[in-house]
Amino acid sequence: MEFLTANIAPIMFAGLVVFLLLGYPVAFALAANGIFFGLVGIELGLLQPSLFQALPERLWGVMSNETLLAVPFFTFMGLILERSGMAEDLLDTIGQLFGSLRGGLAFAVIFVGALLAATTGVVAASVISMGLISLPIMLRYGYDRRLASGVIAASGTLAQIIPPSLVLIIMADQLGKSVGDMYAGAFIPGITLASLYVLYIVGVTIFKPAWVPALPPEARKLGEPNGSSGTPSFVVIFVLAVIAGALFDRFYYVPKYVDVPLDERLVIAAGAGAAFALAAAMVNRAFKLGLLSRLAEQVVFVLIPPLALIFLVLGTIFLGWATPTEGGAMGATGALVMALSRGRLSLKLTRQAMESTARLSTFVVFILIGARVFSLTFYGVNGHVWVEHLLTSLPGGQLGFLIVVNLLVFVLAFFLDYFELAFIVVPLLGPVAEKLGIDPIWFGVLLALNMQTSFMHPPFGFALFYLRSVAPSRDFMDKVTGKRTAPVTTAQIYWGAIPFVIIQLIMVSLLIAFPQMSLVYKTDLPKGDPDKAFEIPVEAPAAGNAADDIMKDLGGKNDDAGAEPATGKSAEEQAAEDLQKQFGGK
Amino acid sequence: MQGLLKLSRLIDAINDRIGNWVSWLILVMVLVSAGNAIIRKTLNMSSNAWLELQWYLFSAVFLLAAGYTLLKNAHVRIDVISGRFSARGQTWIDIFGTVFFLMPMSIAFLYLSWKVFVRTYTQHEISGSAGGLVMWPARLLVPVGFFLLTAQGFSELIKRVAFLTGHGPDPVPRGDTRAAEAELAEEIRKHAEGKA
Repeated sequence: MEFLTANIAPIMFAGLVVFLLLGYPVAFALAANGIFFGLVGIELGLLQPSLFQALPERLWGVMSNETLLAVPFFTFMGLILERSGMAEDLLDTIGQLFGSLRGGLAFAVIFVGALLAATTGVVAASVISMGLISLPIMLRYGYDRRLASGVIAASGTLAQIIPPSLVLIIMADQLGKSVGDMYAGAFIPGITLASLYVLYIVGVTIFKPAWVPALPPEARKLGEPNGSSGTPSFVVIFVLAVIAGALFDRFYYVPKYVDVPLDERLVIAAGAGAAFALAAAMVNRAFKLGLLSRLAEQVVFVLIPPLALIFLVLGTIFLGWATPTEGGAMGATGALVMALSRGRLSLKLTRQAMESTARLSTFVVFILIGARVFSLTFYGVNGHVWVEHLLTSLPGGQLGFLIVVNLLVFVLAFFLDYFELAFIVVPLLGPVAEKLGIDPIWFGVLLALNMQTSFMHPPFGFALFYLRSVAPSRDFMDKVTGKRTAPVTTAQIYWGAIPFVIIQLIMVSLLIAFPQMSLVYKTDLPKGDPDKAFEIPVEAPAAGNAADDIMKDLGGKNDDAGAEPATGKSAEEQAAEDLQKQFGGK
Repeated sequence: MQGLLKLSRLIDAINDRIGNWVSWLILVMVLVSAGNAIIRKTLNMSSNAWLELQWYLFSAVFLLAAGYTLLKNAHVRIDVISGRFSARGQTWIDIFGTVFFLMPMSIAFLYLSWKVFVRTYTQHEISGSAGGLVMWPARLLVPVGFFLLTAQGFSELIKRVAFLTGHGPDPVPRGDTRAAEAELAEEIRKHAEGKA
């Protein structure tokens, strides 16, 4: 008994592992663990008998958490988008654009992967589209099978780290920071990661050119009648669009609205440039001017839908028009309109998407509810103090902590998906990181980057699994060349992923070494005009809820865990307000 | 047993129907939320009631669809170990989990949240923000949702006991768990071939 009383936190944690491994749904195993040990704690006199009276308010906190709305919004958007044919068109056309280069198809896959990630990433959908559209072409023209499958799996997982990603949203919520800041913090690491992939392919084109051949002329469907590829024409229109955007910014927008922040100008200028390119392509097509090559025209047309969606989900946030959550809703609306205009939206598809969204968001929220029941007891028995003690006593300070935590998350990600990690593990790690002086945004981006690896790691990685399900697994007859083509073996998929997992780990180390990559969010906004982009009244309740998660550590919740609901609530609100001031008014 | 199986089928049918209905709220939420942002930007108007409506709707989705999600076996599990068990072994785990994990949680929430609902209702509580919505409908969602979940748990229990005692089929489709991805792949493949 004595032993149990003294060690209830570690025992409870070990119990959680057993409960989870039993294989019953995580949400209920978590809650049951909380309830069981709560009863034990009450029996031992460690907890107030009224402990569970706090449950309804905890649930209410989950319900009124507006950040969570992003889960259904982005899920729904992704489900509509994956059936809209946008990814296929992009892969087709961008493949043509880069195809004449050595390694061009691989570059196209990375570029499209990043672009899809910036609309709303769904790893499964990206990998499946690429595996069905790009992989056959790569195989047909002699790409190395390992490299081809590796680059597809890796580019698909970019969805996890490039904003807007659900991982980042949930991470921001659980760490009590604004989603906008988390996006800003993930931008440079995300782009850097994609660039590292590109760099690797560049290296391959130099040292192993046979792995990544350029497409032969007959494979370029969008070539000009005179045999030219049409690429120079695209370069011209691209440069003109950039100039148009810059001019619009310089001579119209800035003089008209004085003192606009840089991010807002960038969004507007990009919009102006894209509008220019679209107008040029439309005029060219309508009047058959022939000033643009077919390729250039086509590229402009396929790029507009994803750019428009990126504007809706990200641009509106940086302009301060919408909250990140509303950005998700705008994106979902945009995806609906786009699918409708392409004739790909049926009642059946819409219903399927809505029902899948309802199921997915329900299980996600229930994991959170389970985690809140667990944490009620776990914090009640001072489990967070135990975790903190364990982690702060690590040698090496900040660096030691980061290395251990990253290894831990890397291993845990084999078994847990990112929702479980974010709801169970992150709330325990966040306060410790903050105590060690680690910036929460930096920390969150690091963890998101780390969790991304788990999608690619043989043999459990989901991206590999999806690719396996669509890559040819036995000899097949190529439809274009009519040649018998060898399959892609599972071993090739696994080996192909390894270089990219290594790149990923290099990126994690880079971000540990250069936290500045994630800290731009602090300097991004001009001094005289703080919070312009993010200060929208709607954000307030979200921040309050997130605050609830970490407030126990700040002493707000600890003692009143077992108090009457009425007083518990007011304390909760008070603490939330305090934190809001702290976080909202940075 | 036959009577219980009948009851189980009734619960399944009700939760299935409710799940299909509340799914439409996803679309409503999307439009309400996008509308909020657009109206705030263009008309410079903002209403707390409409902002609160978003999460009222979402709460309705995940609470009322809790039973439906259980019915569809869509709550995630960690199956590294249990995945190796036989169908009967997994069924035993489900029975154990339903009785000792799901039911205590579900009944605890049902009981505790009902008391809160009664308090909110009798005191006509309104949310703190100006122009906010009345709170009792959202408070009512909780006991209703957990009632549906408890009922579904009971139904799952019946189906599993029936399976073990040879009164019914295996309630869980095993093996092909990623049907959605397979379907997507099929569609993209068709699309790609149509173009080529």
